[in-house]
Amino acid sequence: METFEFQGKNTEDAIENACRKLNLTRDDIEIEVIEPGSAGIFGLVGGRKARIRVIVSAKEPQPLEKFGPGTVEEIEEDKYAESEQMVEPIFEDKIGANIESPEDKNGLIVAKDALEKILNLIPVEGASVTASQMDGIISLYIEGDKSGLLIGRKGRTLDALQFVVNKIVNKTLEKRTHVVIDSESYRQRRKEFLTQMALQMGSKAKKIKKPVVTNLLYPHDRRIVHLALKDDNELSTKSRGEGLFKKVIIIPKG
Amino acid sequence: MKDLIAYIAKALVDKPEEVVVTEIEGAQTAVIELKVAKDDLGKVIGKQGRTARAMRTILGAASTKIKKRSVLEIIE
Repeated sequence: METFEFQGKNTEDAIENACRKLNLTRDDIEIEVIEPGSAGIFGLVGGRKARIRVIVSAKEPQPLEKFGPGTVEEIEEDKYAESEQMVEPIFEDKIGANIESPEDKNGLIVAKDALEKILNLIPVEGASVTASQMDGIISLYIEGDKSGLLIGRKGRTLDALQFVVNKIVNKTLEKRTHVVIDSESYRQRRKEFLTQMALQMGSKAKKIKKPVVTNLLYPHDRRIVHLALKDDNELSTKSRGEGLFKKVIIIPKG
Repeated sequence: MKDLIAYIAKALVDKPEEVVVTEIEGAQTAVIELKVAKDDLGKVIGKQGRTARAMRTILGAASTKIKKRSVLEIIE
């Protein structure tokens, strides 16, 4: 039995923080709200952070990254052998396990190499890159950037890194490959945030029976919004605008 | 800072041997000049200047680290 304290913008956020830091799912921890927190006036004045206490029952920690089916068993095996350096060997295994052709392997190495070189030149200390490949998409995960320097405002730096590494990889390779770069699960968090936002806006559109427009979004972010609402038969979504950034209009049907 | 841009530029162009990067240091701002072969100019700028923008963003992050400002100039 161990107890920890975590903070967040609201209790939800605090719980999410806790889960991420402890590598546990929500079901594995007991949560006690110390202070519910408040956004304050316009989110500016008098805002208080939510604080929670987390009680962890003596249970094996779960690994942080989930890279789809097939990895779970490998994780189980490795967990007992080297619980400290759990993440690294799994990725090594993934590199070996998911090669489709020598060219794919090459792409993975080129991508990892390029990102590591760039990080070394910035320079980011103590950051390590782990790579994996799935369905032709190369995923690179940066670990150890505590400051969020590599994420940047609204993920701009992360997107820039991703864009440049994509260019480098696709220049070297014949086949078109997509590279996704993530740091501190930023992309995962962003996806959850956008999905939440899309659902909220969707229900608002239904309530007021008028179209609701999001702010300017990146293509990747727009895709998340479209996907979040695609199963809702009462709503349709459209992109509006020119250039890289566009707005998404959520239109209620009928 | 200079090496960072040089590495990225060299990885993007067809003629890496013609990439020249010079750094002009100021008190607060450093200007980094990137020169590439004529045929490679489009490669470092990119569609709608996307590649150039990405390089500037990465440079910006790197400059934040050393608490300085850097400007990237692509020289024709």
